[in-house]
Amino acid sequence: MTRLAAALVGVVFGFTLAWSGMSDPDVIRAGLLFEDLYLFSFFFAAMATAFVGVQILRRANVRALLTRDRITPETLRPEKRHVGGSILFGLGWAISAACPGPVAAQLGQGMLWSVATIAGIVIGLKIHAARGRARETPEAGARPAPVVGIE
Amino acid sequence: MRETFASQAPWFVAGPLLGLCVVAVLALVNGRLGVVGGFSDVVDRVSERSLRLGWKGTFLVGLVGGALLWALVSGGRAEDGYGWLTRTFSDPVVALALLVAGICIGLGAKTAGGCTAGNGLSGNAFGSRAALVATMTFMAVAVAATFVTKWIWGAAL
Repeated sequence: MTRLAAALVGVVFGFTLAWSGMSDPDVIRAGLLFEDLYLFSFFFAAMATAFVGVQILRRANVRALLTRDRITPETLRPEKRHVGGSILFGLGWAISAACPGPVAAQLGQGMLWSVATIAGIVIGLKIHAARGRARETPEAGARPAPVVGIE
Repeated sequence: MRETFASQAPWFVAGPLLGLCVVAVLALVNGRLGVVGGFSDVVDRVSERSLRLGWKGTFLVGLVGGALLWALVSGGRAEDGYGWLTRTFSDPVVALALLVAGICIGLGAKTAGGCTAGNGLSGNAFGSRAALVATMTFMAVAVAATFVTKWIWGAAL
């Protein structure tokens, strides 16, 4: 049920990304060059809506409809990785004029170039996993593996 | 109806729709909506020779389906080219550039704990300071790097 619900939200998300032109690299590039304010208007409208909705849910102190656990929007303190990772991410965003959501939407729309970007994303994730393993190996068993999968 | 969806959605309609998706995921499964998490889920399951996706993976599958649905409803807009890249470079160079960009996106977002959706939308909506720092960083870098490409290659758009 959680998987089906997430898929349905995904459909709305993907439809909206495609309808707003985010899968068109020209739209994102024009936004990043400040030639068209659509990208930032769209992004901040989305963020503001999400912020208000999340804060209402947090204050209402309710349980999640499907999983029945108390709603706890996770907040983290900034670490070096948030800056370092985001620098790399920003470079990729600039080159491809697309980020993960739009790339997936491109695939859905049948834009074949997205396959190259997705191949890169898979390699990037594999590199991240391999680096994590390399860090853990010398002291394997010394302490429990860090909890991952928060995004 | 076709014309409604064929032209770009007004930002004040599309933006709130996207934002409500973040609220929906939190309200339904107490989760943080993100797209790199979806890619991660799919990659992990496939490497385990399994296709039993978690909710992040099914979200991503839904996303791809939603874009397909839009293409069907609006009459599609699948172009052969890829923006400034195919207008500036030959096809093999574009493929390599997108592959490298993808590596930066996958490794960078996973390291930073989120992408434009996970940190930019959800994390900021949650009030996470880490997400705010990440968002300001990738926005600044993306804008700066895009201007650099414009100056180097004269690619206006």
